[in-house]
Amino acid sequence: MAEPRGRPLSASQRPTGSDKAIATGKRQYFRRRKVCRFCVEKIDDINYKNVRLLSAFVSERGKITPRRISGVCTPHQRRLSEAIKQARNIALLPFASPL
Amino acid sequence: MRIYEELFIVNPDSAEEEIDQLVEQLRQVIADGGGAIEKVEKWGVRRLAYPVQKHDDGYYILLQFGSSPDTVKEIERRLRVADQVLKFITVRIDRNLKRLEKRKKQREKRAARKPPPASPVPQAPAAEPFEAEVAAGESEAEK
Repeated sequence: MAEPRGRPLSASQRPTGSDKAIATGKRQYFRRRKVCRFCVEKIDDINYKNVRLLSAFVSERGKITPRRISGVCTPHQRRLSEAIKQARNIALLPFASPL
Repeated sequence: MRIYEELFIVNPDSAEEEIDQLVEQLRQVIADGGGAIEKVEKWGVRRLAYPVQKHDDGYYILLQFGSSPDTVKEIERRLRVADQVLKFITVRIDRNLKRLEKRKKQREKRAARKPPPASPVPQAPAAEPFEAEVAAGESEAEK
């Protein structure tokens, strides 16, 4: 999954089709160019307290949605992940919820 | 002086005065350490995502303050010792605040530079080449 990328440009510029192609077994290239929601809406503050925002990136079972599904860019995914883990620690989000 | 944020959960059945006492104690610790309290927020009783010490809800309290790292150790010690406190988390936020400030300034600068109604002409500002790349990239994306 680690493709060498140069200077971090905005996610909408980077071709995201390639890793999607590999992920979906080369069935469709550039199926639907997903852009990082945070880059587009220019949300800077990914806070562990913002449960509503965080829960949009968490599955029904409480698992963090992978980047290739949510379309989030790498630095934002990292911050999102950290915030979700902090929220879990303080019982704002569950670690695992029953299906 | 670093800015920290402390969010802790108190037993929901405890009395209001006990909670205030606890907050006062923490205020004292911060003041003794030469720190400054930025804000105190009481969120009240909230449902917990999972049972903590057999409780299904808890009284959340948020404390934002600036202090030295030793004061933080003392605060955490007090919270750990206190019987009513179920959970706590300390987050260092001065770096985040600085980053948000920087972002805001960058955005304002970029907004001021663009010609009034949004015509995405790729700008070529004299200074910062990185800024130009990002600005050009964004205007390209908006097309």
